[in-house]
Amino acid sequence: MIKDQTLTKRPSLNILEKIEESLERLNDKIEVMIEIQKTGNSNQRSTLALPEASLDVMTLLSMPDHLRKTAMSICRCTRATAEEISQQTSRARAVESAYLNQLVIMGYLKKERRGRKAYFFIDKETQG
Amino acid sequence: MGKIIAIHSYKGGTGKTLLSVNLAATFVKAGKKVALIDLDFRAPSLFAILKSEDAQVWFNDYLNNTSEVETILMDLSSKVSGEGKFYAGLANPATEAIRDMSSKDRKWEMRALGRLLALKESLLANQKFDYIIFDTSPGLQYSSINAIVAADFVVVATTGDRSDVDGTKRMLKELYNLFEKKTGLVLNKVLDASASAKKTEIANKIKTAYHVPMLGMVPCFCEVLRAEGNLIFVQDKPDHPFTKILSEMAKKIEDNEVN
Repeated sequence: MIKDQTLTKRPSLNILEKIEESLERLNDKIEVMIEIQKTGNSNQRSTLALPEASLDVMTLLSMPDHLRKTAMSICRCTRATAEEISQQTSRARAVESAYLNQLVIMGYLKKERRGRKAYFFIDKETQG
Repeated sequence: MGKIIAIHSYKGGTGKTLLSVNLAATFVKAGKKVALIDLDFRAPSLFAILKSEDAQVWFNDYLNNTSEVETILMDLSSKVSGEGKFYAGLANPATEAIRDMSSKDRKWEMRALGRLLALKESLLANQKFDYIIFDTSPGLQYSSINAIVAADFVVVATTGDRSDVDGTKRMLKELYNLFEKKTGLVLNKVLDASASAKKTEIANKIKTAYHVPMLGMVPCFCEVLRAEGNLIFVQDKPDHPFTKILSEMAKKIEDNEVN
């Protein structure tokens, strides 16, 4: 009986996971769109994403407080998910996800998807 | 896990190197494993105080990613009595090296911050160091801000000099607060600090002016000046009041009393 229940639950769990994954991807895209809208039309996208931008201490100093906190945490971890950063900053995962995506758009971080997880990191190879 | 401590100041000549060497030696005497690192690449001085002029490898090489930290640290445990271990990473005093370090770009500085942060894994976690102490350049130099960002705790050395007081206040407000750093203030070269009433008065003034906890107050000792940086004071003068003050500071840091 128990075995049957597990078998029936598994497909619905998979569907839920897929929905969550899709929502996360949508969320990322919306955040990019919001950021582009804030700074002007989509033609400015190329000036927003600065692959050369370096996350050095002077840049950290000039950042707004909310982004500096996230950026400093990623400096300490080198590579992390929004969940891991939120544990360090004691802010909500969704908030950290938004800030991390902003840092990606600004060219300070790179983002890589591995299955359901999105990893954020400082690309030291391209930055020097 | 151990801690990274950065010793910093707004102005030069506040006694950062004296405090760094003697704080490190105090921890070593108490049985700790300590790495003292000279991050003052514009005016390297640890090599002279630790009498290691013949060094072949420098901390510059670690930041340039041409050497690993294990090959750079010099074992100087014989210079301090006690059960602890004393290692030093020296800044290269050659003019060419100073010029080279002054001309680094932002990307290099970003990678240097990564190398400093990596010491937490390599030295504190893997090699079980209790403390890494960074002796920094004064003011808002790249290397110093890197050290502050990488540190768990920052000791700010200051004097009663008017320009130092104003600059230190601004630095604490506009730099340390932004990085949310745990900080302790050391007031150095204090005149007439023998009476306890005077001490309390100065301590209260400091707390009101800087809004950071006081780690210690060091009177102006002629014996320290007379030594001309030729000795590790707490090692050579174990009964001197300076040695006692350094022990109290070390204990406060160890007990996490400064928040």
